[in-house]
Amino acid sequence: MRIGVFFCQVDQEKLINLDQIIKYADNLPGVVYTRIFGVKPKLNPEELSILLKEYAFERIVIAGDSPGYFKPVFAKAMALAGGNPHEVQLASFREHGARGEEAVERAKGILACASYAVPYSLAAIPKGAPVHPSTLIIGGGVAGIQAALELADAGKPVYLVERTGTIGGHMAMFDKTFPTLDCAACILTPKMVAVGQHDMIRLLTNAAVEGVSGIPGSYKVKVRTRARCVDLTSCISCGLCSEVCPVKVISEFDAGISQRKAIYIPFPQAVPNVYMVDADHCTYIQSDGKKCGVCLKKCPKECINLNESDLVEEIEVGNIILATGYDILDASIIPQYGYGIYPNVITAIEFERLTNASGTTGGKIVTKTMQVNKRTGEKEWIFDSTGPSPKNVAIIHCVGSRDKKYNGYCSRVCCMYSLKFSHLVKEKIPEVNCYEFYIDMRAFGKGYEEFAERIREEGTFVVRGRSATVSMDNGNMVVKGEDIVQDKVVEFPVDLVVLAVGLVPAKGTVELCTLLGLTRDPDGWFSELDYNGNPTDTERGGIYVAGMCQGPKDIPDTVAQGSAVAAGVLRSITSGRGIGHHSNLMLSEIEARAKSIHTF
Amino acid sequence: MAIRVNPRLIEDLNRFGAADVQMCYHCGDCSAVCVHTDDMFRFPRKSMRQLQMGLEKRLDTALEPWLCYYCGQCSDQCPREAHPGETMMSLRRWLINRYDITGIAGKFFRSVQTEVWTVIIMGLLTALAALGYHLFSGSIYVVDGPDAFLPSHIVHMFDIALGSVLGIILLLNALHMWSLTMKEGGEASIPWWLYIKSILQLPLHFFTQKRYAECITTKKSGLYMPWIIHLGLMWGYVTMLVLVMVFLPYLQKGPEIFWPAHIFGYLASIGLLTGVFYFIRSRLIRKYAQYHKSHSTDWVFVILLALITITGILQHIFHRTGLPVAANITYLLHLMVVVPWLLRMPFSKWAHLVYRPLAMYFAAVRKNAYAWQEKKQRSFSPDLQPI
Ligand SMILES: Cc1cc2nc3c(=O)[nH]c(=O)nc-3n(C[C@H](O)[C@H](O)[C@H](O)COP(=O)(O)OP(=O)(O)OC[C@H]3O[C@@H](n4cnc5c(N)ncnc54)[C@H](O)[C@@H]3O)c2cc1C
Ligand code: HEM
Ligand code: SF4
Ligand code: SF4
Repeated sequence: MRIGVFFCQVDQEKLINLDQIIKYADNLPGVVYTRIFGVKPKLNPEELSILLKEYAFERIVIAGDSPGYFKPVFAKAMALAGGNPHEVQLASFREHGARGEEAVERAKGILACASYAVPYSLAAIPKGAPVHPSTLIIGGGVAGIQAALELADAGKPVYLVERTGTIGGHMAMFDKTFPTLDCAACILTPKMVAVGQHDMIRLLTNAAVEGVSGIPGSYKVKVRTRARCVDLTSCISCGLCSEVCPVKVISEFDAGISQRKAIYIPFPQAVPNVYMVDADHCTYIQSDGKKCGVCLKKCPKECINLNESDLVEEIEVGNIILATGYDILDASIIPQYGYGIYPNVITAIEFERLTNASGTTGGKIVTKTMQVNKRTGEKEWIFDSTGPSPKNVAIIHCVGSRDKKYNGYCSRVCCMYSLKFSHLVKEKIPEVNCYEFYIDMRAFGKGYEEFAERIREEGTFVVRGRSATVSMDNGNMVVKGEDIVQDKVVEFPVDLVVLAVGLVPAKGTVELCTLLGLTRDPDGWFSELDYNGNPTDTERGGIYVAGMCQGPKDIPDTVAQGSAVAAGVLRSITSGRGIGHHSNLMLSEIEARAKSIHTF
Repeated sequence: MAIRVNPRLIEDLNRFGAADVQMCYHCGDCSAVCVHTDDMFRFPRKSMRQLQMGLEKRLDTALEPWLCYYCGQCSDQCPREAHPGETMMSLRRWLINRYDITGIAGKFFRSVQTEVWTVIIMGLLTALAALGYHLFSGSIYVVDGPDAFLPSHIVHMFDIALGSVLGIILLLNALHMWSLTMKEGGEASIPWWLYIKSILQLPLHFFTQKRYAECITTKKSGLYMPWIIHLGLMWGYVTMLVLVMVFLPYLQKGPEIFWPAHIFGYLASIGLLTGVFYFIRSRLIRKYAQYHKSHSTDWVFVILLALITITGILQHIFHRTGLPVAANITYLLHLMVVVPWLLRMPFSKWAHLVYRPLAMYFAAVRKNAYAWQEKKQRSFSPDLQPI
């Protein structure tokens, strides 16, 4: 067979050292000709066909990143030259994961397979390597929940490891979702309950992954479940324990705007619907059982065991899905808006909890009231449902996003949730003045532009120009900025400022990366295999990413990715051939396998 | 009328130092934090926009760049690292070139080589002229009096001649500035008496640079830095200029110290020395936004000033301590820097001593004209509401 190899690139990124690969190509059996065409060459089928005819190629291999782009031209040229247009093979470097350290070796393997006209995945993945049918999902936000349900409904066992005491993630904190203003809980709660009750799902809340070993298709994972101190099966969540507990702690679920006890349930619809003990704050645990313990006596089911210890177990899975979501950037590192200094400057997530009907004020939007802490005697500002409603509310976009000092990237959801906030504010306090300070309105999704228009029509003042500062003037907060449409520097007196703070990868992302041998993109999110072609796969076959942890996105996109990763996992399990991209075979083995498949 | 854009403008401005203008996404933070922005003159964001759009005609009639005192607050706040303060600085350099009727300024700003070589050649020519004179007269061992190596009456005459030529060029450039900013740039026609009304703005801003003191970063620095330093430098400079231009013969008398003249010289030297030291140091350590980026002309400016100050002081010391040869050599070196420095004057950053007070003055006139016209309009049509 006479084979010609042509190197073509679609973009400038020169990730691969072509010299070595060309040398290798020259020595491949059948290869009579190699040539570099470079980046996005302008190829003309007629001219090309002359070359093809001259060498009388029987097969052509187009090699490079995304070489499929050039296939039509070569196929046509091949036909014109009188050859077989079906003998145009692709050696897709990037698509098959030829990057990073092993890029060159990998590219050679890919090229060898293409020269034999054997699909790379067929030759490079150890045949018949058994894939364990179970899947581990790390992170129980809406992404993890969606993936878990898809897999479990397909009859595959799932371990869902969630760091906090409940699944649901951020979506569980919201009242309404943009742009439909659907009730977030109405969508999420049924899914959460389904996860909690599913036969095929083992839910490990209050848990963390501590170690991973093995290869794609067969991983051993060490999971530590921290002592919950309340029995998962017998607790009826009557809440009597919590009533008597004397310790108050800032509520994480309420984004810090209310308090909970040391024995608590994050929120009433939590899954599992079981109380839990915060060991770091429980007096009994902290005093080694010498003090307190009042909850023990109160529990009617006797399901509290304050002496419980952590459980470390090893589970076996075939695939791993990462769905660890995001955190909010710490707004107090941005000095000009006075977060942490002025009590009525709050973050978006705090606002979500404030406006949530199940939140501390019952969904009433108020400004903070001052209170003297009885124990410490210090002044505190708290949200109290009897507090005054704000008359002027400012919502500031892009706080810490698209800002080179903090996050250079766009957090993608802030424009829309900010508009949602305006709607909620105006709905609850009709006479309020609501200002949105924005730089560019990113209303990119289905129905989003219409949503933005609707908010404008509702009477929100949408000010083009991110305000520069929040300051205090005679006890009044003043937001100052340039309205670049009106061409004026303006000052707005307001009594509540909501900061649309940017998003960052969840805490622990770096650790997970080292644990799993993954890479992060320059902004810190998990790197996907290929942004366009394989957005939920990673370069470690058998490990997938879904939802916000791959990059900022809204709920619809998150849910779509949750389903997409399930497809990837099911593909790997049903094909019984391990998973796509990462091969642990040596180059010589790949060559041999490709050759044998070819002759066979 | 529509304005014709110049899409290449931004590339040109690049050479004047505005490298990051395209980064700006118009959040308006910079204008909001700038204390000098007001209802009539809003910057730096608007200037950034005009630059991005290539609105050349808008920019060369603008006063805004001169109303900026480069405190750097805007650059500190800018989320895009677009360096709005440096853009205003670059616009000033560009405007100096625009106002200049000879076109020399543009050559200096656009090319370091041209500027440095011109300085060197001018310096050498000065030396040549002095040595040429030395062939006929003067002794290297004499510093003062008619037999001096460089006798003060000749130097004085030369100073005045040079000063006058450059003064005239500067005046013409200032006139050009007026015609650009007030004739072409001002929307309203301005009655002459409004010019009289605000005339005091000129000396006020020249002698105090009071707006410099109003910048947030200046206030934050505690000691009113760098305003106070600049004030010392500027007063020192003006004092020295007067001494040299008017009282040079007294200054060069000697070798004993002539207190009535020299005391001013000493005070001026302190101002000059601290000034150049401060600015050079700031540009080296680059701690504050306004010194992050140094255009080549910034360096040439401060270095020449430093050399002038140091050689002047050394010459004085050598002269008074009975080291005539050393004194004469340093004097020659001094003149070798002074001549190019003076020759550069209308074409360099230093022209700001004229343009800045003028701009402040013009801005006041424009504001008054605007108010006056509004009043006039209202008296014609009483229903018309001001916008
Ligand atoms: C203020 C605000 C309002 C928003 N409003 C809307 C809206 O109205 N509509 C909309 O479409 N989108 C909205 N979004 C975006 C939406 O929140 C996200 O798209 C969605 O929540 C992403 O889900 P997720 O599952 O990827 O991440 P998350 O919801 O963050 O869930 C991640 C889960 O993983 C867990 N986890 C993290 N690390 C680990 C670990 N190492 N081990 C175990 N578990 C871990 C976390 O505890 C969490 O439960 C909003 C975002 C914000 C900030
Ligand atoms: C004899 C007169 C003057 C001299 C010698 C002088 C000298 C200088 C020097 C050395 C610098 C610092 C350059 C650097 O940062 O490296 C400077 C900057 C500055 N000067 Fe002057 N100056 C004079 C007059 C004035 C006047 C009259 C004003 C204002 C009305 C003014 C305003 C400024 C301002 C705002 C800066 C900082 C911003 C910039 O560099 O443009 N100066 N000047
Ligand atoms: S702060 Fe920066 S990005 Fe914002 S308008 Fe000014 S120059 Fe542009
Ligand atoms: S440098 Fe200072 S004076 Fe100049 S525009 Fe920026 S904030 Fe205003």
